[in-house]
Amino acid sequence: MAGKTEVKIIPKSNRIKRSKAEWLFAIFNYLFFIFVTLMVVYPFWHVIMTSLSSVEATAKGGIFLWPKGFNLDTYGKVFKNAQIWSGYFTTIIVTLTGTALGTLFTATTAYALSKKRLPFGGILMLLVLFTMIFNGGMIPNYLLIKNLNLLNTRWALILPGLVSAYNVIIMKSFFQSIPDSLEESARIDGANDVIIFIKIAIPLSKATVAVIALFTAVGYWNDFFSTVLYINDSTKWALQAVLRYMLTNTNQAMQAAGVSVISASNVTAATIKSASVVVATVPILIVYPFLQKYFVQGVMVGGVKG
Amino acid sequence: MKLSSDKSLKGRGSDRKTIWRDMVRCRWLYFLLIPAIIYFFIFKYIPIYGLRIAFMDYNQYAPEKSIWVGVDQFIKLFTKKSFIPVLWNTIKISLLKLLCGFPVPIILALMMNEIKSVKFKKISQTLLYLPHFISWAIMAGIIMTLLDPTNGLITGIIQKITGQSVMVLTDTKWFVPMLIVTDIYKGMGWGTIVYFAAISGVDPQLYEAVAIDGAGKWKQAIHITLPGIMPSIIVMFIMNCGNILNAGFEQIFMLYSAQVYSVADIIDTYVYRIGIVQSDYSFSTAAGMFKSVVAFILILVVNSIAKKTGNEGII
Repeated sequence: MAGKTEVKIIPKSNRIKRSKAEWLFAIFNYLFFIFVTLMVVYPFWHVIMTSLSSVEATAKGGIFLWPKGFNLDTYGKVFKNAQIWSGYFTTIIVTLTGTALGTLFTATTAYALSKKRLPFGGILMLLVLFTMIFNGGMIPNYLLIKNLNLLNTRWALILPGLVSAYNVIIMKSFFQSIPDSLEESARIDGANDVIIFIKIAIPLSKATVAVIALFTAVGYWNDFFSTVLYINDSTKWALQAVLRYMLTNTNQAMQAAGVSVISASNVTAATIKSASVVVATVPILIVYPFLQKYFVQGVMVGGVKG
Repeated sequence: MKLSSDKSLKGRGSDRKTIWRDMVRCRWLYFLLIPAIIYFFIFKYIPIYGLRIAFMDYNQYAPEKSIWVGVDQFIKLFTKKSFIPVLWNTIKISLLKLLCGFPVPIILALMMNEIKSVKFKKISQTLLYLPHFISWAIMAGIIMTLLDPTNGLITGIIQKITGQSVMVLTDTKWFVPMLIVTDIYKGMGWGTIVYFAAISGVDPQLYEAVAIDGAGKWKQAIHITLPGIMPSIIVMFIMNCGNILNAGFEQIFMLYSAQVYSVADIIDTYVYRIGIVQSDYSFSTAAGMFKSVVAFILILVVNSIAKKTGNEGII
């Protein structure tokens, strides 16, 4: 992956001639970043290579750049594990529902609160902000879900993280930048706030909405702890929780899935662990390069100032 | 983020009819707020109200029969031998993370700023940001593979260098350094973005001015770039200080085991084990509430320091 990054030093500095020390620094700098980047990518590479190696080769260790005893048997075993699929199913459902509802409600909230003419808008915003710096914590949240009878339902994975105050702030500051004059003409035509929100505010803020949706989606996709807290029924576990179970109880997980693991050895476990990690990571690795720039934009929009 | 106190409202005095008329005029905006009001009330404010069980002896089978015990749970918290080490672990781990991890993105951003090839920069950044988007569950899987005591790559390397076989994940000497390294690994790339934004905001004329005076790249970085991004550095530092009781729950939860509880057990993991696993709701809520309250006070203090030193606060 990182092999493509060639060292390119621009021959002529357009301002001032570089001194020898600066040349040395520039070369060092490129080498440094090649090194750091490789260090960051390598663990992913290593796991993929381990997952493609044979059980015997893994036992000896020393897998470095390429798989040893290349084979896909491990994946065959992992894919036979129904839990992986149910994990995917839950995570996809939760991510889609949570992102759709969460983004919608973030937008409606931010839009209403962005209007200075709204009586009590300031107090309501304060109440939203307060949740960012103070919260009930783990146990009261657990008891709430329990009392709502949502334990062991997928709603417990969706509802608690629906709207974040931080996203409301980002969207609100965007809506505030829309000039009032755009809405005035619609108002004269008799449109109410809901219609203006749908027909004017949303189309103008597609990019921001997309960024919020992406951040929300990543949050749901990576969420692991909600499952640990709220879901006992393993058929409703989210992917991350299934992965953790596969990592900590590899052999039981595979045997429960009806996959015979040779003598339940530690070594088989190693290849199965790596293959599970790869199976859970691949979707992110596929979409990440295309979405990366939107995430960066999102942070820029949010800014340090919040 | 500053809150605009609703001055227009106050200006009109206590004319209730006017307010009422404004509210009716804004009825569709309130309509848009309905989901948020329900959501924040149920999922944010009911749990805050739920903190009252920290002052009770909560009866999980018959909540209405719970008795009020005042601050007994908190007294128990600070007299019980198990909690104090947990508190120290929390502070120790997050301070070490702050100390070792905080400068890394700043240095990376300053160095990356000197890279001239746009293509190189882009590819490098894309790859450096990646770990930020990977869940701790996946990261834990990768870490376990690399640190596997029998055939892990890194344990193998350590073994070759030191001649000893080490079990990083179960050794109290190695566990905390491992947490710090993996935390830096996951966050350093993404952390640079804030500083890139700040660097791009530095006036280019300043560089030209000192370049004419003969200042090299190094001096430019030290005398222009670094002071230029200092406000961002201060804000980030402040935000991190407010987070001092968050030592990284998911990371530790994924990687720790009973062998390393003595160094790795933090408030959140403690609350989880006492509360969810052992169902001692009142006591664990008290522990959690202690954390929330301290964090809240820290954020307010730190925010007012930021404002006094002439920086924009975070609230």
